[in-house]
Amino acid sequence: MSTTTVGAGAGIGTSPLRPDGTLKVTGEFAFSSDLWADRMLWGATLRSPHPRARIVGIDLTGAVATTGVHAVLTAEDVPGKKLYGLEHADQPVLAMGQVRYAGEPVAIVAADHPETARRAAAAIVVEYEVLPPITDPVAAIDAEETVHDRGNLLRHVPIRKGSLEATAPVVVTGEYEVGMQDQAFLGPESGLAIPAEDGGVDLFIATQWLHGDLGQVADCLGLPPSKVRLSLAGVGGAFGGREDVSMQVHACMLALHTGRPVKMVYSREESFHGHVHRHPARMWYEHGADLDGRLVYVKARIVLDGGAYASTSMAVVANATTLGVGPYKVPNVVVDGYAVYTNNPPCGAMRGFGAVQACFAYESQMDKLAAALGLDPVDVRVRNALEPGDTMPTGQVVHGPAPVADLLDRVRAAAPPAQRGDDLRELPGGVANTTHGEGVRRGVGYGIGIKNVGFSEGFDDYSTARVRLEVVGGEPAAVVHTAAAEVGQGLVTIQAQIVRTELGVEQVTVATADTTVGSAGSSSASRQTYVTGGAVKAACEAVRAAVLRRAGRDDVTLRGGRLVTEGGEVVADLVDVLGDRPIEETVEWRHKPTHPLDPRTGQGDAHVQYAFAAHRATVDVDVELGLVRVVEIATAQDVGRALHPQSVRGQIAGGTAQGLGLAVMEEIQVVDGLIRNPSFTDYLIPTILDVPPMRIDVLELGDPSAPYGLRGVGEPPTISSTPAIVAAIRAATGLALNRVPVRPEHLTGT
Amino acid sequence: MKPFAYQRAEAADSAVATISRTGAAYLAGGTNIVDLMKLGVTAPDLLIDVTGLPLRDIEALPDGGMRVGALTANSDLATDPVLRTRFPAVALALLSGASAQLRNRATIGGNLLQRTRCRYFVDVTKSCNKRRPGAGCAAREGEHTDLAILGASEQCVATNPSDLAVALALVDARVELLTEGGPASMSVHEFFRLPGDRPERDTNLPPGALITAVVLPATPIARMSTYRKVRDRSSFAFAAGSVAAALDVRDGVVQDVRLAYGAVAHRPWRAYAAERSLRGAPATVDNFERAADEELAAAKPLRDNGYKVPLIRNLTVGVLRGMTEASW
Amino acid sequence: MRVNLTVNGEARQADDVWPGESLLYVLRERLGLPGAKNACEQGECGSCTVYLDGTPVCACLVAAGQAEHRDVRTVEGLPGPDGLDPVQQAFLSAGAVQCGFCTPGLVVAVHDLLARNPTPSDPDIREALAGNLCRCTGYENIVAAVKLAAGA
Repeated sequence: MSTTTVGAGAGIGTSPLRPDGTLKVTGEFAFSSDLWADRMLWGATLRSPHPRARIVGIDLTGAVATTGVHAVLTAEDVPGKKLYGLEHADQPVLAMGQVRYAGEPVAIVAADHPETARRAAAAIVVEYEVLPPITDPVAAIDAEETVHDRGNLLRHVPIRKGSLEATAPVVVTGEYEVGMQDQAFLGPESGLAIPAEDGGVDLFIATQWLHGDLGQVADCLGLPPSKVRLSLAGVGGAFGGREDVSMQVHACMLALHTGRPVKMVYSREESFHGHVHRHPARMWYEHGADLDGRLVYVKARIVLDGGAYASTSMAVVANATTLGVGPYKVPNVVVDGYAVYTNNPPCGAMRGFGAVQACFAYESQMDKLAAALGLDPVDVRVRNALEPGDTMPTGQVVHGPAPVADLLDRVRAAAPPAQRGDDLRELPGGVANTTHGEGVRRGVGYGIGIKNVGFSEGFDDYSTARVRLEVVGGEPAAVVHTAAAEVGQGLVTIQAQIVRTELGVEQVTVATADTTVGSAGSSSASRQTYVTGGAVKAACEAVRAAVLRRAGRDDVTLRGGRLVTEGGEVVADLVDVLGDRPIEETVEWRHKPTHPLDPRTGQGDAHVQYAFAAHRATVDVDVELGLVRVVEIATAQDVGRALHPQSVRGQIAGGTAQGLGLAVMEEIQVVDGLIRNPSFTDYLIPTILDVPPMRIDVLELGDPSAPYGLRGVGEPPTISSTPAIVAAIRAATGLALNRVPVRPEHLTGT
Repeated sequence: MKPFAYQRAEAADSAVATISRTGAAYLAGGTNIVDLMKLGVTAPDLLIDVTGLPLRDIEALPDGGMRVGALTANSDLATDPVLRTRFPAVALALLSGASAQLRNRATIGGNLLQRTRCRYFVDVTKSCNKRRPGAGCAAREGEHTDLAILGASEQCVATNPSDLAVALALVDARVELLTEGGPASMSVHEFFRLPGDRPERDTNLPPGALITAVVLPATPIARMSTYRKVRDRSSFAFAAGSVAAALDVRDGVVQDVRLAYGAVAHRPWRAYAAERSLRGAPATVDNFERAADEELAAAKPLRDNGYKVPLIRNLTVGVLRGMTEASW
Repeated sequence: MRVNLTVNGEARQADDVWPGESLLYVLRERLGLPGAKNACEQGECGSCTVYLDGTPVCACLVAAGQAEHRDVRTVEGLPGPDGLDPVQQAFLSAGAVQCGFCTPGLVVAVHDLLARNPTPSDPDIREALAGNLCRCTGYENIVAAVKLAAGA
């Protein structure tokens, strides 16, 4: 049980309570769907039922005539740019003449009641000329029929390292498949747009990246960015699914058109259509090794289904490819990654971002290699484990700790879970009394993964922090203001901890994130504690320097509200130095630059930091019924420095559970371009009965080039838990299991 | 959601009289119909809320049976000590359904009227003969891993989603009704139906009739009964397949047996062929397997739900083997 | 229509209610109590769990009219005169709150569990909370919070 809590006033390395926690346990925290404004209207979206069709005509008469309706808008009403997108603006705000996926927004409505808005949207008559959808990403690469004019290949990333002709005495091959996973955040997409007197708009929104939204929203509204002000509303989970724009532009259009506040809240079904998903992947791998199990080469081909629009597919495929051989020393590498347009639902960011798919394949291959050589699966991994100073397939040298072998040794050495008890509720099938243990077999499996932290390939990845130090009620107090999105991970707590540590003040307020301060970048890529944490630290350093200048000292630190020498002598009270003149500093902070990949060889120092986690999964499988129960998960992860240990463990447990979901149950089923399970009844995520107790081992090895030595935490747990669980199921059943999620029908056979 | 009127029933007979008008529907726990109304799958003009009617009693009948008011909450019946002794399979089936919050709200009568979870039925943009007769069935060629392997028709391959219904089929429960013509009663076997060429009808409930109670007839063998459910996660999911069983084994020979399958057909599927095969036979795994195979010989799986055949077979064998061992 | 009900001990009244509205909608949009959450509105996640006449239910599937003259208690009504309910405090202390969207429903479900079973075993806890989905925590700290609250 991790209940390390200390009172407010704690700095980094402790686990103070979340500042938003009390509001969250009492129900008073304002999530984006809880917002309300006087004279507020409700927005609704009409979406395409077809994955590919030409729009022949749209008849709005029925919607316009509905009592209570205030606006009905289509593509013609988009005031500015008609297309948006994070990396490549190819996605229409509202469909223009054609639709490319089922669920694409075609028209939007504002009305005085959400039900009226939904009914009015349903009263719009769209005449479609339905076209056969392009749904097979592999075939789409070379197909003549294209989703967009530019062709179906969004990006090809080749990696070439060492010899292309390397051979080896032991060769294992495999074809692997990963299904489409959903972020399944609980808080539906929602926001409130309020028209402003200056002709602009204020948008209160649950997002991962306020400034990422700002640029796209302002462009599409045809407004200067200064007239579009975004504030972060409470975010009910994100996991990548809020990195792209969903209803942001729509709500603003309706608000500007009606002159009234407009709230939009997606239903769960709409949410499944309203955000991007994890890319389904097909992967072909060949590993060559010597007779001792040392890798000689890896050849792989990875095809990611990007769906109808680009979103972040170009970056996702670069991750899948550059991390495609895993945390191993491989002298010769030939990997080709492809991101492809289809008429399937658009795919983009989800926790793990390309690294998840590749890890399932390369870890399955490592198990195959171990089996081919008669080696222990952990031994074969340790034998090839990446070490500091080694080079990645991109030629990038790994600097700082890379405890791959250590993490594996730790999960292997962890005490095994207890044997099965008598409580039937602890058998596969759980409370359904499904199994009495006759056909139950236990299996153990391992996985280790690698993830880049932060944005890569030369992206200008920075964050902005503003810190103000002043006297409030006779006490020194600080306000920290960034645009960084708190999505549940605990960034608000971390920001205050950093300020306390750096400025030695107890009273710290974290201002609401908004666009009146510079960009913090996205709450994604495990980067926010690193980059915004770095920015807050740097802003504090600037404030401290100003305090010292004002005090005329350069030999003191700030502790407990005082200026203190190294020897412990108090030279002044902060309150006296500040007086009635607050000190405020705003700092833009960048991690060390990254570089593009060579487009032919994939060589380049594209990533800023690597993170690693290992998992050992123990499962019981009822082989007669195809039921899997994950009995226990042991995991080890190097986090560099745990700024808030309780949150670090929370991230590891939560990420591991999402990997478990992908391993055994989660998949958006897409048939002919249509999502067949857009509900929590049919898209299953793990319940508390599905997620086992976890043994979490946190290493703090310190990355010398990162703030406080920290390493991004959020994504690695999601990456290696999936292959570890599948390996355990393979160990229990002897089945090949080359596809996730593994479902009962894959285990009982047909 | 289509506009509709809401009205509270003052008495059962007036409710029945009102509902016989077209388009009206009863509202009890609402755990299914409210959801279906939100999805636009069903759109009554009038909802008659019957939850105020006095139909919540659980009676232990002197003959060993039970009579359960139709508005009894699933959670209340599941924890009834008499039910747990006399009809453990019914209690287990109830507890394996949905979640605690839904069981608190869902009623026994409403449970019998649950609509199928077929994805094409709940998606109004897709063709479904059950929702719109004559529209066609998209499930046959679509996503149908959860759907029927037994008793389906060209028009419909839906499954009944209820766990409770499977246990009720096991014990030959009776459904008590109030119709416009007065009280009536029908066996649960008459109540549920196969889709045939009228897939829009889930049950043979007479139009306008109100379920008032479910009677579990005295069934000594049911004291040795159980229910097992296989699903894609540990809890809070509909069945991929389930088996209710009651078994009486003496001296290694099956004196009597009852078997019913869930999530395989448009109705709870009583496995009469398997029962016949087993009565009087030695209680061996081989015989259990043979009996299940005989029952499942009629199975006609679709492209992607063939896994249900070995699943039900293995589940049957596992359940009967477990009960046999327990009876030693 | 008008709906009269008791919410957190107080007689409340909602006017102009459309019959298709749920108790959840009435609480959130008409009575200013957004604590119960709208994650699925189909009874599939437990985020809208409230007490209805003392029994935890999914408010999203209770038709507004069915709340007439009933007693509703929401997460907003759990704190006592001395501050947070022990369950709320335990969620906070154990780190069981991340994004917090599942939290109100879970707090009510745990409150009910501990009222019925003050010292639940691990399987008891998991069985009772299987109707409340959480996507952030992996449930590890939620189980810890229940144990913490039970020991309080």
